[in-house]
Amino acid sequence: MTEPLEPVEPPRPPDPAGTAYPDYHPGSARPELNRPLHERYPQIRPTSGYADPRVRHTGPGPGAGSEQEPERSAKLTARLVLALSVVIGQLWALTEVVNVWMEGDTGTAWWGAGFLCLSFLVVLGLWLLDPKDR
Amino acid sequence: MSVTEQQQPGPDNGSGNDPREALHDRIGADSLTTRRDYLRIVATVSGGLAVGGLAVAGGILHRHGETEDGKAPAPKRIAAQLLPGESLAFRYPGDEDRAVAVRMDDGTLVGYSAVCTHLACAVLWRKDRGTEGELYCPCHEGVFDARTGEVTAGPPPRGLPKVVMTELEDGSIWAVGTTRSGESVEEGLCRQLRQDRPDLATRIGCPGTGGGAEAPPAPVPSAPAAPDGTATGGR
Repeated sequence: MTEPLEPVEPPRPPDPAGTAYPDYHPGSARPELNRPLHERYPQIRPTSGYADPRVRHTGPGPGAGSEQEPERSAKLTARLVLALSVVIGQLWALTEVVNVWMEGDTGTAWWGAGFLCLSFLVVLGLWLLDPKDR
Repeated sequence: MSVTEQQQPGPDNGSGNDPREALHDRIGADSLTTRRDYLRIVATVSGGLAVGGLAVAGGILHRHGETEDGKAPAPKRIAAQLLPGESLAFRYPGDEDRAVAVRMDDGTLVGYSAVCTHLACAVLWRKDRGTEGELYCPCHEGVFDARTGEVTAGPPPRGLPKVVMTELEDGSIWAVGTTRSGESVEEGLCRQLRQDRPDLATRIGCPGTGGGAEAPPAPVPSAPAAPDGTATGGR
C-alpha cells in the first residue's frame, strides 16, 4: 500500500507585484479621457444615432427610428383641410355680412360677425390641437 | 483649342457643380414651409376675417346717403330741367355720394347711386342698351334695371341704392332722400322720418310708429314717388 503523498501546494504564478504586469484599473491612464461622454463630445445627444431628436418614442425596440404614430401625418393634413374649409366659409360669410349691412339689416350683420368669430375659434382650436406636432 | 472644344461638357463644368444651382437644390430639398406653418397662416387669415366681419357690422363701411350726424339729408336742387332720354350725374347728399338721375322716354324720373355695388366703379346710363336703356357698369359688365335698380346681369351682389327724385312745377329736378339697397322709397323715407320727425312719420302711417289712423290718403306727400323708386313729375 502506498502512502499518500504529502499534499503539496500547486505552483502559483509569481507575484505580479514588481513584475511586468501593471495594476489593473478601468478607464484610461490619461485623466482627460476619463471624463463623462457628454463632456468629451458635446455634439452627441441622448438620441444621437437613433433618429431625428424631435421624434418621440423611437426605439430601441421594434420599429425603432421609424414613425411610431402612422396616423400623425394624416391627422395634420386633415386639420389643415378642415381649417381651409372653415376659412372658405368665412369668406362667404364676410360677403354676406357686407351685403346685409349695406341693405340696412344691422342685426343680421352682427349675427354674421358672430359666426365669423366662432369660425375663427374653430380654426384656432385646430391649430392648437397638437402644438408639438410638426 | 477651338471654341467648340472649349464648350465640350467635361467632368468639371457639369451643371451639377454650379454653386448657385447646388444652393437652389439644397433650398428646394429643405421643407421651408411645413403643413404646420400653413396651419398657422390659415389661423391668422381666419382671425383677420373675423376682425373684418366685426368692423363691417360695426359700421366701418360707408353707405350711400348716410350723414355723419345721422339726420335725413336736406333736399337739393340738382338741375333746372332734365329732358327725356337724358341723364345727369350729381352728388347727393354728400360730396362722396355719387348719383345719377335719369329721365326715361316715358317721362319717368329715377335716381340711383352711381357707385356699383360690385367693386364701386361708376355706373353709367346707357340709353342704347336694352329695350328702354340700362344702368351699366363697364368694369365688369354689371347691368341694373333702370326702373327698379335691381341687378339684371353681371356680378353686382345687390341693387343700387335709390335717390328719391322729384320735379317741381318750374321743371327743376330735386333730390329729396335716399334709400338703401333693396329698400323701397317708402321704407327709406319712413326710416329717415322716424329719426328726425317722428310726428310726421306717425301722420303718414309709417310702419312701426303706431300711427296711421290720421294718415292722409297719400302715403308720402312730400315726395310723390311710385313704390318702385320713380317719381313722375310730382309737385
